[in-house]
Order: sequence, then structure tokens, then C-alpha cells
Amino acid sequence: MESKALKPILAVYVAAFILFLYGPFIVLGILSFQQGPEGGPQFPIIDWSTYWYRHLFGLTPPSRIAPLPVGEALLRSLTLAFMTMVTATVLGVMAAQAFRRRFRGAGIVFYLIVLGMMVPGVLTGLGTSLLANNVVGVERHWWTTAFVAHVVYTFPFAFLVMLAILNRFDGSVEEAAWSLGVSPARTFRKVTFPLIFPGVLSAMLFAFTLSFDEFPRTLFASGRDQTLPLAIYGTFSVEIHPNIFAFGVMTTLFSFSLLAVYGILMGLSVRRAKKIAMQEDIA
Amino acid sequence: MVQSESIFRLDGVTRRFGALTALDDITFEAPQNEYISLLGPSGAGKTSLLRVIAGFESPDVGRIHFLGRDITDLPAHKRGIGFVFQNFALFPHLTVFENIAFGLRNGIDDIADAQIGDRVREMVDLVGLSGLEDRVPDQISGGQKQRVALARTLVMQPKLVLLDEPLGALDANLRGRMQTELRQIRERLNVTFLHVTGSETEALAMGDTVAVLDRGRIIQSGTPEQIHDTPSSSDVALFLNRFNLFDGKLSADAFHGPFGPVPAANVCQNPTDIYAIRYDRTKAFRKGDTLPGPALPARFLASEYLGSSVISFFETADHKQVEVDHHLSFGDPDNYKVGEEYVLSWDPRHAIVFGQEAAA
Repeated sequence: MESKALKPILAVYVAAFILFLYGPFIVLGILSFQQGPEGGPQFPIIDWSTYWYRHLFGLTPPSRIAPLPVGEALLRSLTLAFMTMVTATVLGVMAAQAFRRRFRGAGIVFYLIVLGMMVPGVLTGLGTSLLANNVVGVERHWWTTAFVAHVVYTFPFAFLVMLAILNRFDGSVEEAAWSLGVSPARTFRKVTFPLIFPGVLSAMLFAFTLSFDEFPRTLFASGRDQTLPLAIYGTFSVEIHPNIFAFGVMTTLFSFSLLAVYGILMGLSVRRAKKIAMQEDIA
Repeated sequence: MVQSESIFRLDGVTRRFGALTALDDITFEAPQNEYISLLGPSGAGKTSLLRVIAGFESPDVGRIHFLGRDITDLPAHKRGIGFVFQNFALFPHLTVFENIAFGLRNGIDDIADAQIGDRVREMVDLVGLSGLEDRVPDQISGGQKQRVALARTLVMQPKLVLLDEPLGALDANLRGRMQTELRQIRERLNVTFLHVTGSETEALAMGDTVAVLDRGRIIQSGTPEQIHDTPSSSDVALFLNRFNLFDGKLSADAFHGPFGPVPAANVCQNPTDIYAIRYDRTKAFRKGDTLPGPALPARFLASEYLGSSVISFFETADHKQVEVDHHLSFGDPDNYKVGEEYVLSWDPRHAIVFGQEAAA
């Protein structure tokens, strides 16, 4: 049978896929426990230690290796990602809401929004900076030009997520609320928003993660103060030490905890409904 | 006594969707405190009519008056007209109690929590939902959802409630029970119900007034008896699903049908010449029996036992199916043999003749 041959091939393929997905991270994870300060960013591991983690937080005696200049950049990137997330999600929800009714030129507007994702990032960043500097007269900062570039970049993603959610949304519950004398604004707050909230969470997650490690658009648009990806890239040009790996492990763990929060929030409503059902069964 | 005012009035309401005319110049006046059923085949514009009255859609032409006030340009949430959806449209994230309390809590008026609780509990009792207040819509049955949808609307004390095929999603057993309950609840609360349905039995059983909608027009309205006994056109007779309708030609006080010429005394104006005789007035005879009227030879196909009556299906020479409804209170039915030829006949005084040239 065909499927008998196919199954092992697919299994190997999936295994290879997962290996390539997580392999680099595992290697970085191992190397981050290299002995310091003499140990370099390569195998073999001389001795296991948490030196580079302590180095990251300035807990090691001074040595010739400077501490990683990422503290401020990290804070900057987190703030920028948060600002981008809020703005892009609000815009995405509003735009997708507008698309529930057919309006004149809806098709053109849709393609204009979506095609924005295809424009090369470096050019967008450069264009935004030139526009701000020469035409609008705004200085380049991570919270001005880079922020605009990030919102422009993440908005189509938030829009598409919300569009998919609202496509499956049954509008008759909204009409039911209106017929009960509830204004459209309050209906959105009390009925529509709670029902589309899982989609809003997904849109927020997309916007945050895309903005947090955005590189090409930020390169020209961020101005003097660098965001985290730019700061990390900057350290590569001098010399690479395992402290960068330790930092990578830390940020990845941070991202995972964000994902966990997302998962918990998503599962909460489902679990609550199940719990009530179970109580009913017992009673 | 003060003359009873109409609850709502439609003046030449027209609604188009592109080339399709869903509502075609409808003028209709609905009496207060009645159960009105609106009967029509699918695609007749029933749902469009309800949505226009509720304010979810606005008419292209025409005005809508509600309690003596022009509400055509008023948004849905300011109209005070209740709407019960076919799919119930309950709020899935709220409990039964909160579903019913929703309008009271979120409306324009500030109502105290204690009062909301009282009104919701009263309504829960009225529709028989006690004990289910803390469940969410996913955990209750279709019939219970129907009651929540109704309670949620009625708790707002509207003067008019629009029901869009409210029994369509229920099984037959439950449908019968809800029919009685809907009528009882309406009488107790003195509201007008406008109930849209595609089922002629439901429309006739439930309505104090029945309006028949076809291709965006109301073609007849009246009491169920009027509609049933004197349909104003052959289309109404067709929707009632209780008449054998025969094509033919009307000329000089006689109708020429597949059963030969029959005298036609009262002729109703109609776009085509049609002869209508009710299923339960049509009778089957053996060859050679004395007939009460015209003779229509037909072959027996099958019969269906319905409990209180037996419906027998016959086929004429030109392959037209004719139904004979024999009520069992008139004695046991005859045993017809499948494929055998019989003669169908009826008392011509019971027939309704529709013709292009109405007799004076």
C-alpha cells in the first residue's frame, strides 16, 4: 500500500522539521552554560556553569568582557511592542468591524491593507524615516517613526485575524440586543466584544511578537536609541560571547510565559463552561 | 368605549435587494392585542417584513407607524418592539438569568438590581424556566432556549413582539405544546404577537388574524375561518394546502375542467381560471355509484393514516394528483385497491371558482 510507505517518510519529515525548529535553540541553550569568562561560543563545553547568566545581571567580578548593553533596549522594545499591540489591535478590530457591511470600494481597501504586508521591510522603514524627516518634520525616534512603522506592519495581521473571527460571527445576537432597547455602542461592549475576545487575544499576540523582534523596518526608523534586536545585532560586530546566548534563553522563556498567559486566558472561558456542566451532571 | 387603535400600520412599504423586490408596496394595519399570523411560502418576504418593522433594515419607500407614531427613521433600539429569532440568538456568554435581565440592565433606564431580580424571576416563572437560571445557553434544550428567547423579550414589556418562525427549530411534539403556550402567554400579557410561519396549520391554529404574504405582497388577511373557507385567490388556496386545484376554462357561467363542464355560480376574480374543492369535500366513489356532482375518473395510489382522518391519493388521466381527506368521525374509510379506477365527485356548491372574468 501507498500509505504504508508514506507514513514513515512523513514521520521522518516531521521529526526533521521539529529538529530544525528547535535545534538552534537547544544548541544556544547548551552553550549558554559554558564556563566563563574564558569559555567561548563554541563546543566543547569546558565546564558547566551559570557564569554568563550572572554576568548578564552584573553579578560577576569585573573582567575584560563588558556587560551586554541591552537593559535599556529591552525596556524600549517591550514598551514599543506594547504600544504597537494596543494600537494595531484597536485599529484591526475597528477595520474588520467596518468590513462586516459591504461599502463602496471595500475590495480595493481590502487589497491595499493586505498588500502592505508584501512591501519589503527595509524600504518601508527607510521610507517612513524620509517622510518623517523631510516632509512632516518629525525627528526619528523609536516612539515616533519606528512606532508608526511597527503599527503599519502589524495592523494587517490584526485586521486579518479579526476579519476571520467576525466572518463567523452571527450578527443576530447584536440585533437581539438592539431589540431589547440596548444601544449599539453598549451592545458592542456587552455582547460583541466578549464573544470576539479570543480573536482579539490572538491579534494582540501577533502584534506584540511581530513588533518585539522586528528588525528591517526598525533599522532606519528607530533613530538614536536602539530597540533590542538592533542592540543585539550591534554586539555581534565586536565579538560574540556566550552571554548573548544566556540572554536569548531568558527572552525565549519570557516569550513562552507570554504564550502561557495567552493560553490560560483562552482556556478560561472553555474550562468555566465545562466546570458548570460537570457540576450539573453531579447534581 | 374608545375605538381600538391599530398597533402598527404599514404605508406602501417597499424593500428591494438589487433586482429583487422583497416587499412590494405593502399596506397593512394590525389590530391591537391580537395574535396575528403571517403565512407565506419561503422567499415571500416574511423575514424582510419583520426586519423592516423591527428596524434592522429600512424600507426603500413607505412609512411605518407604531402606536400612532412614525418610526420609519427610528433606530431599532429606540422602537420598543420585541423580536424573537428563529435561531433564538441567545447570548452564549451569559446565564439564563442574565440573558433575561440583559435588556433591563443595559437599557436606557436605570433600574435597581432588586427590581431587575423581581421582574426576571416573575418572567422565569411565567415561561416555566425555574431551576435553570444559572445555566448557560449551551446547557439547555431547544425548547428551553425558545422560552429564554421569549422571556428575554417579554420582560421588557413591549406592546408588539415579532416572532420569526419561532417553532421552526423545535420537534413536532414540542411545537404543539409551544403553540398553546404562546397563545396563553400572549393573552395574559395583553401584547400583540406577529408570528411569521411557512406552515398553514400553524398560521390557522394560532392567529386571531391571518395575513397571507406572497411575492412581497399581502394578498389576503382576515380571520382563520375567512381565510380557510373563502380564500380570495387561487394562490391563497394553494398555500392553505387544503384544496384540490384544477386548471380549466371559465365561460358563460360554466367551468370546463378535466371533469367536464360544471355550472359556476360565484366566481372570484383571479389571474387564471381555476376550480378549487377542499380535500375533505372531495369523495371517492366506485363506478356506477350515484354521484353528488361532477365525475372525475382517477386511479388510487396510496393512503396515509393521520389519526383523526385518512388522506387518500388519486391520480387522474392527465397525471394530476388529487387528495381525498376522510375524517374518521364520518365512519370507517372504504378500502381502495392500489391501481384500481374510481370516480371522484363532490357537491358543486362547495367548490370555489376563480376566474379572469369575475361574475357580477
